[in-house]
Amino acid sequence: MPVSLRNGLIAGALLISSAAALADENLFGYVRGAEVLPKGASEFYQWFTQRSDKGNGTYRALDTKTEFEYGVTDRFQVSAELNGMALNTSGLVIDGYLPSDKKFGLRFQGVELAVKYNFLSPAKDDFGLSGTTSIEYGVLDQHSGQKKKEYEVETQLQAQKFFMEGQLTWVGNLGIRAAYEKRAAISNLPDGFDWPTDPEMEISTKIGTGLSYRFAPNWYAGVEMLRESEFETEVGLERWSLFAGPSLHYGGSQWWATLTLFKQVRGGGERYAGQTDDHLHLIEKTKNEVRLKVGYNF
Amino acid sequence: MKAARDWGMFLLPAAALSWPAHAADYLSVEQAQVLLFPAAKGFAAQPLKLNDEQRDRIKAESGVRQRWDEQKVWRAERDGQLQGWFVVDDVIGKHEFITYATAISPEGKVLGVEILSYRETHGGQIRDASWRKALTGKTLADHFKLDDDVPNITGATLSCRNVMDGVKRLLVIHKLFLSHG
Repeated sequence: MPVSLRNGLIAGALLISSAAALADENLFGYVRGAEVLPKGASEFYQWFTQRSDKGNGTYRALDTKTEFEYGVTDRFQVSAELNGMALNTSGLVIDGYLPSDKKFGLRFQGVELAVKYNFLSPAKDDFGLSGTTSIEYGVLDQHSGQKKKEYEVETQLQAQKFFMEGQLTWVGNLGIRAAYEKRAAISNLPDGFDWPTDPEMEISTKIGTGLSYRFAPNWYAGVEMLRESEFETEVGLERWSLFAGPSLHYGGSQWWATLTLFKQVRGGGERYAGQTDDHLHLIEKTKNEVRLKVGYNF
Repeated sequence: MKAARDWGMFLLPAAALSWPAHAADYLSVEQAQVLLFPAAKGFAAQPLKLNDEQRDRIKAESGVRQRWDEQKVWRAERDGQLQGWFVVDDVIGKHEFITYATAISPEGKVLGVEILSYRETHGGQIRDASWRKALTGKTLADHFKLDDDVPNITGATLSCRNVMDGVKRLLVIHKLFLSHG
């Protein structure tokens, strides 16, 4: 069957589906709320994240995440994700991280399985609290696009509070991630270029918060921020970054979409030779990110 | 060409963007009046204008913000006798406002609740008599606790909470401004 026809049939099936469910709706692009899907409900997500600008040369990456969530009970949901990546980088070499120009279209990057448990409901208990745990397997380095085996586990707490009968929503996140990574060897590296292929362990923390206000029926405007710190075996604190930006969310009865513009406002840790922005971390992060999420309930 | 095909797979959900959000208006005000006060022969509109101080009092006593500065109220009568008060209200749902009507007896007891408009796809059971009857008979002396004396509808918790709190707020409005006839 031609790919275009197959895609059309799947899209058509989505469009004629009429079963109802409420979303574990994402008001934000980067921070997560504490709500879960009700028992028996399903949700399909599609994420696109563009990361761009490392201060020199050209760097533009696109991450995709295709996710399916299912509510096992009214408090417990499971999800599976398929991750992809595209990259276009040129005119920028970072010793130990970015060995060469690289350009490729969307490729398989990894898979992820996750569970989420809701301890307290934000609407029923006044304060919402959930916990998530995920495991991920990756085959591409998200910075350089080079081959790399990566196994990671992440756990996170999500807090959520409604104000003004739900017109204003606050969320807070606290998470920790541990990863085992092993790069594949690269031939034809530049002279003296450091590209270690020994396995390494990384531990990173995430602290995020966001506030979203429903300014019209179906429409929410918000702001969110996320601080990430990464610790690595040899150097201790390898990097940290603080991103912040506005989010716009539309939530309908069957689908929703969220657009977030995320800008790195502060960063630290390692810097690459020739980096001119001293207050940012631009080795593993970029100056700007844009994320679009679309969710469909069925 | 292959890259374009791969992109197509990842872009499939965009098809869902054409899905129209639907609004569902189930009852008109007149239909709800007849359902909640079948014995009444007339309904006299008696909208209640509320100033800031009055709205603050409502919030202080009900624990819920009085969003509107005018509450739509009708006096239900039969042969000149007061049967009760018919009040229409809007509360926040997951995505849009939920419009409902509450019948309150002259003594301040909930006689019934009808959902006029519910625009969320999930939680349509809020219209079922089995859910609404949990609010019937309530007075301000009663407990208002979701998933305790008022059942929760999974996936529509915010809607249930806001309708329940809204009914309590209407009882406070009755006590403060309507209980003297």
